[in-house]
Amino acid sequence: MGKKKKRVSSKVWCYYCDREFDDEKILVQHQKAKHFKCHVCHKKLSTAGGMAIHVLQVHKESVTKVPNAKPGRESTDIEIYGMQGIPPDILAAHYGEDEEEAPSKAAKVDTPYTQLVGGVVPGQLGVGYPPQSTLGAMQPIYSTAVPIPPAGWSVAPRPQPWYPQHPAGSIPPPAHVGFAQQPLFPVQNVRPPLASTASPALQPAQVVPPGIPSSTPPVPVSQPLFPVVNNNTATQSSPFSAPIPSSIPASASAEIKGPVDAHSGGSLTNSHSYASGPNTGGPSIGPPPVIANKAPATQPAVNEVYLVWEDEAMSMEERRMSSAKYQVHDETTQMSSIDAAIDRRISESRLAGRMAF
Amino acid sequence: MATFGTAVATNQNPNKSVEVAQPPSDSVSSLCFSPKANFLVATSWDNQVRCWEISRSGAAVASVPKASISHDQPVLCSTWKDDGTTVFSGGCDKQVKMWPLLSGGQPVTVAMHDAPIKEVAWIPELNLLVTGSWDKTLKYWDTRQSNPVHTQQLPDRCYALTVKHPLMVVGTADRNLIVFNLNNPQTEFKRIPSPLKYQTRCVAAFPDQQGFLVGSIEGRVGVHHLDDSQQSKNFTFKCHRDGSEIYSVNSLNFHPALNLCSLWSYILQRIFIHQLKCPFFCEDFDAPAQIHHTFATAGSDGAFNFWDKDSKQRLKAMSRCGQPIPCSTFNSDGSIFAYSVCYDWSKGAENHNPATAKTYIYLHLPQESEVKGKPRVGTSGRK
Repeated sequence: MGKKKKRVSSKVWCYYCDREFDDEKILVQHQKAKHFKCHVCHKKLSTAGGMAIHVLQVHKESVTKVPNAKPGRESTDIEIYGMQGIPPDILAAHYGEDEEEAPSKAAKVDTPYTQLVGGVVPGQLGVGYPPQSTLGAMQPIYSTAVPIPPAGWSVAPRPQPWYPQHPAGSIPPPAHVGFAQQPLFPVQNVRPPLASTASPALQPAQVVPPGIPSSTPPVPVSQPLFPVVNNNTATQSSPFSAPIPSSIPASASAEIKGPVDAHSGGSLTNSHSYASGPNTGGPSIGPPPVIANKAPATQPAVNEVYLVWEDEAMSMEERRMSSAKYQVHDETTQMSSIDAAIDRRISESRLAGRMAF
Repeated sequence: MATFGTAVATNQNPNKSVEVAQPPSDSVSSLCFSPKANFLVATSWDNQVRCWEISRSGAAVASVPKASISHDQPVLCSTWKDDGTTVFSGGCDKQVKMWPLLSGGQPVTVAMHDAPIKEVAWIPELNLLVTGSWDKTLKYWDTRQSNPVHTQQLPDRCYALTVKHPLMVVGTADRNLIVFNLNNPQTEFKRIPSPLKYQTRCVAAFPDQQGFLVGSIEGRVGVHHLDDSQQSKNFTFKCHRDGSEIYSVNSLNFHPALNLCSLWSYILQRIFIHQLKCPFFCEDFDAPAQIHHTFATAGSDGAFNFWDKDSKQRLKAMSRCGQPIPCSTFNSDGSIFAYSVCYDWSKGAENHNPATAKTYIYLHLPQESEVKGKPRVGTSGRK
């Protein structure tokens, strides 16, 4: 029985489908992928409630049933996250004799909302329920969510003789490397199947952010952009294109579930409010979905920030060049540098002679 | 090699990088490595173009100043010819000089604009030089003629340019991004507003030419794919920020994993050469040849980071230097990352004190873990 208390690490299971997992992290992933995924944009939320709110607010649809859930467990009202939030009776039913744990669980379960809103986010898994932000308890949770990533940054420090001693460029890149599959440009099939499941009309409307203009929505010009990559310029581009297939499928397939939310966060105008702390809980690049510049008004924290270089009309270099220092500077050097002067004269005469300016 | 000015309060070199000897006397505007050898060229605001030879044995790195030329005005950009014999540099004197430094030749002017030249790139596939200027044009140059082969009007001043044949992306003022297919360079392939809301600072084409990165003054990088069907893979992320201060992303450099892949393939080929009949040869062969879509960003905050866009991970965050990093580059095989630490004007002239301002160029030897993309971890608490 003693082992039962450790069930989180030994035997966890999904409330919605009773599937068992070895690791609660996997369970959480499973839940996000199977039960908390938005059916329209495939954004993965962290809880059923969050998903319902997302679908309601972003896509104007209502979700009442948790997808892929067993009958009777489809409610979106129960706040489930991994093993947290499972109603005690069901927990007890699953773990039969595990009664002694139920009380502590029950306390949590009976009032999931108040508990969470109060900031009692159990364990590191509770980090930043995205839906909470829409429920009105956002800031604290969100901010606590952010610091989690560190584990993800960790760098496997294995020193390796990776690039040392080899003469650059002397190695003929084997032409056939990874020419197995080449989804170079026409990769249409990778995602659309996912996206096409629901309301295509909503998609563009949502996905077209102010920033990404005409290029996205208009007629799908599926003219491959630089198809030459594969064909004509095989010699030049094979080194580039060759390895890609191995990387794209590898990452893309692995990514397919993940990035949906990240990308949508990145391109949806208003999605950052759902940008789910948990997204940043992973080793992802910062919190990609938070678009401060898209809607600063709704991001109180961002309002206080300022751009160190904020001159939109001029670059640093332009400003620098126009400063007195460089105007004077160049005069003097010009005079002092005989080489430069000569060179300049030569080039000028040369250009004067030939150019039709 | 922490030999820097004592007057500097903050640590300029917290990452214990190797300092390049005899750095420029004013800020560095561009850095580029020869594609053929470890020759590093830096252009700077003191009108000079300098070249060092970087020698490396194991972890020991040494730099020896080799040569320099001067422009009449600050130099803004530079690039090497693909054969590693020649350097092109352009800047505020509105011209590009071709410097055949390997042969010891004198620089000659090969390109002219009506305004300072901000970007220059050599296109080996076309055997042409392309220059981007604040005169709102892009010009292609055969270096033997004084007239441009072609002049391409840009919607605004050229701020950034990247070439990975046949893809070329030009970033201009007013957040325009113009995509060219260099197989047809005379027409814009596509013109899009930047996915970022603020001034474009730098662009970098994906090694696979499927898209590009764009960095802005607002501490943000956009990962943008060209193909319409891949728009869903686009995203942006924040970086180079510190509390309430948002710094510019000044430099984006993809890790040149090409040679490493080639090396791997080569090694494997040699290893497996006697096992060519092995049915699993191809699998064995392909796996390590995966290209790294990893890149470095450097910013006005003085930090540089290594990222993997495919797994959306930051691979390594380096410590902030005491001054901004205006430019950076990898050498040809990606084993050396050079970055300059100096004032980039991000806080204006009023924050520039010529008397105390110091310029450094540092060399960082990236660990494999810093530049090798990690497989997307399925188990850790991502997403």
